[in-house]
Amino acid sequence: MRKYMVIYRSVLLENLQYAANVAMGFLGYFVFIFIFVKLWGYMYRTPEELIAGYTKEQMIWYVMMTEMLFFGSNAASVAREVAGDIRGGNIAYLMNRPYHYTLYILAKYTGEWSVRLPMYVALAVVIGMVMVGPLPHFRLTAVWAMALCVILGLTINAVFKMCISLFSFWIEDATPFQWLYDKLILVVGILFPVEIFPQTLQPLLKLTPIYTVCYGPAKLIVDFSPEKCLEILVVQILYLMVGCEMMFLIYRKGVKKLYVNGG
Amino acid sequence: MLTAVKNQLRVCLLSLKYNIMREMVNKVTFLTNVCFMVLNNAALLVQWFILFRLREDVGGYTLREIMLLWGLTAASFGLSHILFARVFSLSELIIKGKLDAYLVQPKNVLVSVITSSTDISAIGDLLYGVALACACSPGIGGFFLFLLFTVTGTIVFTAFALLIGSLSFWFLRMDMLENQAVMGMISFATYPDGIFQGISRFLLYYIIPVGMAVWHPVHMINSFHAGTLFTVLGYALLLLTAAVCVFYRGLRKYSSGNLMTARM
Repeated sequence: MRKYMVIYRSVLLENLQYAANVAMGFLGYFVFIFIFVKLWGYMYRTPEELIAGYTKEQMIWYVMMTEMLFFGSNAASVAREVAGDIRGGNIAYLMNRPYHYTLYILAKYTGEWSVRLPMYVALAVVIGMVMVGPLPHFRLTAVWAMALCVILGLTINAVFKMCISLFSFWIEDATPFQWLYDKLILVVGILFPVEIFPQTLQPLLKLTPIYTVCYGPAKLIVDFSPEKCLEILVVQILYLMVGCEMMFLIYRKGVKKLYVNGG
Repeated sequence: MLTAVKNQLRVCLLSLKYNIMREMVNKVTFLTNVCFMVLNNAALLVQWFILFRLREDVGGYTLREIMLLWGLTAASFGLSHILFARVFSLSELIIKGKLDAYLVQPKNVLVSVITSSTDISAIGDLLYGVALACACSPGIGGFFLFLLFTVTGTIVFTAFALLIGSLSFWFLRMDMLENQAVMGMISFATYPDGIFQGISRFLLYYIIPVGMAVWHPVHMINSFHAGTLFTVLGYALLLLTAAVCVFYRGLRKYSSGNLMTARM
């Protein structure tokens, strides 16, 4: 575990040097939030109206939180790095090092988002307060539980994205599968809370990674309840265990398929 | 003059042909990229089915108009990424001094640069856009208008990216801004203009030209207006001229890097 902490710390320090670069990405986040403020402003006919049990403020804050997780975590970098290592042959050097390749990538990724995410949290709070107003019924005392859910959610997402990228051992380019996974997360989890979908679909959606990756953490921030928190944490731990098992299995099978050309 | 234009056009088409042939070396990857891009775009329609369950219109648009909007955006974005993909990473070429290779070729520099790569997944965008337009059954006239506006949209997207990318001749870090500006424009283009009011609406029509690329065209496919057609054509031409001028003005300031690269 210590070696992964060292990797984490070195990536964290490296990323702190480039914090200004992260700030350049704020424009993309702002554009999304601006669009959704306008969209939900149009969809809610009256300020008191409830859609799927959410007030207008809650709905916009929900999208702001999920987009914050999306932009602040930049999980695409995990997918890019793993796919690049496999396609470029760099994996041949990395798999012989005294660490497990997948955990090395996870430690690096955690170091990256440890710098990005707090910056996006600050931005989201400022934009939210200016454009929407304070979040009703927000429980400051439960921030630690929300933070834990966010960390687990980001890790689960990275594990699943890595699983998809590891398919590059068999197919040359796994990017199209990443698009589909990202779209599933975007449409079903980021843009809308699960409650907005038809009743019959909701139990099914709760079985997908969406529930643990973005809906769960964002729901707790917008509308916290200890029972919901416990439920989400249990599901997240289960998902993380299954996801890691799957990741190790695909990696083990994949490295056996590895051909390295000299050059 | 006419021969020169003909030659440049021939070079463009040959460039496109070889870009696609290069990408088709691995047929499975090629087909997966195209097919999954169609699926990827189609997945976003779910968002609109959800929103139309809540209200009968979104920003004054019906589901058919939203599909036209998405079709036109996807087709314009797709065509610009098929023909001129390199324009979307122009900043990187300028910042890293990679323009040298194009400067020594006996071809028009700008045409040579922007046609030097093709984004294969964009074929999926174009197919999806055209399929969506057909699904909206706009009629023969409407379909021809759709094709015309796909071309004007392509010009607007390309010229906008060229304009922003060319600023890299003067300013640092424009590579990140170029990407954000273009993606921001695409994001706005996939939502109806009716949700934006006041100053933001003005900015989105004339400064970040989403209105000229897709909103005006969608309105015109539904209800044709000659004046608006000339506005869109004029704006596309003006933006293209401005972008080309800025590129060549900036090219005078270009200083080569000492990076040695091989172009395959």
